[in-house]
Amino acid sequence: MTVADIIKALPLTVIAAAGELSKPVEGGYVSDLLSNVMGFAKANSVWITMQGHQNVVAVASLANLSAVIIAGGASPEADAVKKAEAEGVVLLATDLPAFEVAGQLYGLGVRGL
Amino acid sequence: MIRCFVADLHVHSVLSPCAAVEMTPRNIVWHAAEHGVDIIAVTDHNAGDNVRAVLEAAKGTPVTVLPGMEVETKEEIHVVALFDKMRSFQEWEKVVEDHRSGRLNDADKFGAQFVVDAEDNLVRVKEEMLLAALTLGLEELCDRVEALGGLCIASHVDRPAYSILYKLGFIPSGLKLAAAEISPLIKKEDALRRFPALAKIPIVASSDAHTMDDFIGGPKTCFHMEQATLPEIRQALYSENRREVVL
Repeated sequence: MTVADIIKALPLTVIAAAGELSKPVEGGYVSDLLSNVMGFAKANSVWITMQGHQNVVAVASLANLSAVIIAGGASPEADAVKKAEAEGVVLLATDLPAFEVAGQLYGLGVRGL
Repeated sequence: MIRCFVADLHVHSVLSPCAAVEMTPRNIVWHAAEHGVDIIAVTDHNAGDNVRAVLEAAKGTPVTVLPGMEVETKEEIHVVALFDKMRSFQEWEKVVEDHRSGRLNDADKFGAQFVVDAEDNLVRVKEEMLLAALTLGLEELCDRVEALGGLCIASHVDRPAYSILYKLGFIPSGLKLAAAEISPLIKKEDALRRFPALAKIPIVASSDAHTMDDFIGGPKTCFHMEQATLPEIRQALYSENRREVVL
């Protein structure tokens, strides 16, 4: 499965790095604590969060994540979008709450373990 | 005699990975003196390696420098911790060292962290990742700062990223928080309207400068008091002994 596949299935808007949608999705992770994501998220996972600041992009890049889904209608900050474009980190946004996003991804076969 | 001391209690130096390279000790002190800023606190993320250099750079100038640090709690809330003595600040640095994640900074992702001297020369690069949560919770962190004679100010409470009001949604009762800082993005009246929790706590405005333009143009707070010391600032925050805070 790729990032493009989950965009087809879920109501997600591409906010940054639209050229990187062929990245593989091998798992999912939900957390709003960056330190926790740095410690535990596996590479090639999609990360669901409510945080929209630029350090989210740094952490996603560091952890080699395939995409960040900013859920619950939260809006990414302008400098975060700029940094994501520069670093090729896919930022997606949705009005769906985080629980619902995770549930729908699970339904597609994405797992958290 | 009581007079207004213009203070900026939240300024980043080149040690902070997100700060611009012009934020060096001499340059910060020079601009403070040039723009009539009486008191500055240099508050880098989770480290104080440049504080001594800024104190030294300010010797012989009218600028008072308070040792400070912007710490990130376990909850990923940013708090400015201020001290008035290097001895207590050094104790605080030890506490912080014991509670870092152990990760190393990736300068390409987060930015570079420079330790410099009072002449703005590069001394070394700080290896530890500073822009990350400590393993200390908010309450314990503020308790320990207070126990060392310091005071805690919640950073940029009106902003979504790393602020107490967005992370917790309220200010816990009994928390040893001396004040809440509003960011350059909002005026005090608007902050009070949007965040009713702020009615119960003194408010200060600081630049949270990461560039010299931020510092020059950013908000400052006027402390009406007799001397540029932390105990006087504490009295002004609580309107004691005719001291007061004017935004």
